[in-house]
Amino acid sequence: MSVAQLAGGRVAAVVRRAATRDPLVIAAVVVVVGVAVMAVFGSALAPYDPNAIYVGPVSAAPSLAHPFGTDDLGRDILSRVLAGTAPSVLGPVIVVLVSSLAGAALGITAAWFGGAVDGIASRLIELIFAIPGLVLAVLAVAMFGKGLLAPTLALAIAYIPIVARLIRAGARQELGRPYMAALRIQGVGSAAICFRHLVPALLPALFAQTTIGFGYAMLDLAAISFLGLGAQPPASDWGVMIAGGQPALIAGAPEQSMFPALFVVLTVLAVNVLGARVTTWAEGGER
Amino acid sequence: MSGISDVVLELDGVSIATSADTSGRTLVHDCTLQVHAGEAVGLVGESGSGKTLSTRAVAGLLPDGFAVGGTIRIDGEDLSLLPAARLRDVRARRLGMVFQTPRAHLNPFRTIGDFMTEALVSVAGERADAAASRAMDLLDEVGVPDPSRRMRQRPGDLSGGLLQRVMIAATLAMDPRILLADEITTALDVTTQEEVMAVIADLRRHRDLAMLFITHDLPLAGAVCDRVVVMNQGRTVETLPAARMREQARDPYTVRLLSASLPGDVERRTGAPAEPILRVDGLRKTFRVRAAKGFGHDEFVAVDGVGFDLAPGGSLGIVGESGSGKSTTARIICGLETADAGSITVKGEDWTRPARGSRGRRRRARIAQMVFQDPYQSLDPRQTVRECLTEAVALHRPKAPRPEVTARVDELLANVALDTTLADRHPRALSGGQRQRVTIARSLAADPEILVLDEAVSALDVTTQVEVLTLLDGIRRSTGVALLMISHDLDTVRRLCDEVVVMRSGVVVEQGPIADVLDRPAAEYTRMLLDSIPREGWVPRRRRPARTGALPSVATTTTAIPRGGTR
Repeated sequence: MSVAQLAGGRVAAVVRRAATRDPLVIAAVVVVVGVAVMAVFGSALAPYDPNAIYVGPVSAAPSLAHPFGTDDLGRDILSRVLAGTAPSVLGPVIVVLVSSLAGAALGITAAWFGGAVDGIASRLIELIFAIPGLVLAVLAVAMFGKGLLAPTLALAIAYIPIVARLIRAGARQELGRPYMAALRIQGVGSAAICFRHLVPALLPALFAQTTIGFGYAMLDLAAISFLGLGAQPPASDWGVMIAGGQPALIAGAPEQSMFPALFVVLTVLAVNVLGARVTTWAEGGER
Repeated sequence: MSGISDVVLELDGVSIATSADTSGRTLVHDCTLQVHAGEAVGLVGESGSGKTLSTRAVAGLLPDGFAVGGTIRIDGEDLSLLPAARLRDVRARRLGMVFQTPRAHLNPFRTIGDFMTEALVSVAGERADAAASRAMDLLDEVGVPDPSRRMRQRPGDLSGGLLQRVMIAATLAMDPRILLADEITTALDVTTQEEVMAVIADLRRHRDLAMLFITHDLPLAGAVCDRVVVMNQGRTVETLPAARMREQARDPYTVRLLSASLPGDVERRTGAPAEPILRVDGLRKTFRVRAAKGFGHDEFVAVDGVGFDLAPGGSLGIVGESGSGKSTTARIICGLETADAGSITVKGEDWTRPARGSRGRRRRARIAQMVFQDPYQSLDPRQTVRECLTEAVALHRPKAPRPEVTARVDELLANVALDTTLADRHPRALSGGQRQRVTIARSLAADPEILVLDEAVSALDVTTQVEVLTLLDGIRRSTGVALLMISHDLDTVRRLCDEVVVMRSGVVVEQGPIADVLDRPAAEYTRMLLDSIPREGWVPRRRRPARTGALPSVATTTTAIPRGGTR
């Protein structure tokens, strides 16, 4: 792959390369797109009402009528997994969007102004860092009541310092490069330097961190639901379903926990693989 | 001593290609050369000519996926026929290799002693105490002063010249028959280069050491080698006796290289001294550096009482070794650093403090622009050439319609003789010379009256240097921009400047018209700088060995800062 090829038609080149050498990425794309479709059309696609009980036998193994089996109340697990996609995916998306935007803003501000501003921002980052995300989420539930909104926002805040620290370090390094000095001497305005030069330089790192954060947020939110503090039964959130399947699991019917857990794992893996590869390509293209 | 017919290293029709599954390009077509025992052979060519690849093929340091054709023989043994273990042994015991950047090859957290003895213990199999004393002998042999103290120091405490000697000492541990020296002095300034070359000359005398000396600097190769092999686009084109290369050069490429290294004539401006466009007076800048001993900080005086005038349309060079404060001076003028004392006046306006805010910066940008040393680092890697120039042009003509901006960008590309087909490339797809043309075009976008060139050509090949210098000279004549040229290369400054300021350790040693200073130097230091330039009949000499200590200790010679040194 020559440099000229990379410079021109970068997207086409990336897709072609991915298809020939990277079946893992193709698989990840399929999973992510599939999950996105499920999030949007999940309820419509569900063959049964996800909350209707006794649509089949209790704790049945997978069959043609119920491809994922049924749970201990005779609900169709496939329908519940489909309907549960939206709440299970939306939470982590909100967490990474809020934390990436706020964290990037905080990190860039600290690196840009330096001195006292950097000192205050850095102490703030360390302060939030000292509180584990789950504890903050549990605290938010205690204050604002059960449901997904409070723990989602709490996690978003808890994830800010991770992004902020990464972006601060990256921005400091980038600002120290000679081309930044060259831009200043040219008389390029501060806003233009920041948004046209600094931010694009930081995007690959931010994107990588966002995908990793998505995985952690999904697992954390599932854990909160599992603890009974997030989405409440009978809502078909994946975390709630995993928790609700415990008695069935012991009784020898693993489907009720296994299928939603499988989707959590697949989604997290796919997003991480995709994030890692896209970042590598973006960085490779710059050199 | 063995006879001169004894061939230590022979490359016969060596070709190097990248593996077929990427693109299968052949990078070296035919490299053929011989090095006899005790002989020094220079391998000369521009970057991309394949000289480093060929040398790396000898040392077995090519990246994976490179295929080597032809024959490489060390002491008559064909490397491709040797079993792996024997091959490793031959390379370890007969070859010594020294690289351009010693600092990159040393772990900054380990001492010089660790580095030296590790090689001796693990490769030569010596006992730890024997290795330590042997290491000190070797350091002494390459002229590292006070070896026992150096053994306890870390790479960060040593100057580039000293580190390069440490690397040479380490390669001597196995008593190699031939030294492969790959651009070993390119990162050093002329005086340090002279010292390292003097060390190598001594070693070759005492040890009967052969050397393959890779460089892009033809005069240097001519001065230190017996024969010079010229390489161009992957082929060795000519082998010449070093002493008579000017007379015997036949290949057009060699002739071009030789003429490129000759200083040209520039018409000097003489005329009524106008009101200076830039006046620097009593400039002083100190940095806080970590103390030599214990905790706390020392003050390091980078620039001390520097003053000079630059006439409108004139050209002034600031020369000195690394650490002399010349770059700091330039950075203060352009507002990248703040001076502690002194004043900078541009067109009667006070510029001592950096401009505040975007508007102020933009106003100053129309008067003074700067070109940086490293063209690989001074362009945004994400912008194409056209995007970069468009941004620069639009900045100073915010209301200009799109076609006008485009026209101006094309005009700038033409000014720096850059092919418009390159305009849509990213910097990574350009050569060093092309990138530097882009940065010059960018600096001209604002129609500045002062152009500050901070070592603007020192990262480039000789022929490219000459092209860029000619370009700058042309630009100066056509636009009347005043040049402030920072350089450690006196030839460069002589080529382009009317006046010169010689700096050492932050202070001005000598200043005046270029002919007066460089042809009739008054200061001992200027004479020394001039003497260290390689030329015909040049013999590298060891001067005051203590002078190449760690950089801060050089600077402290002019200030009253206590340092933990023994000298």
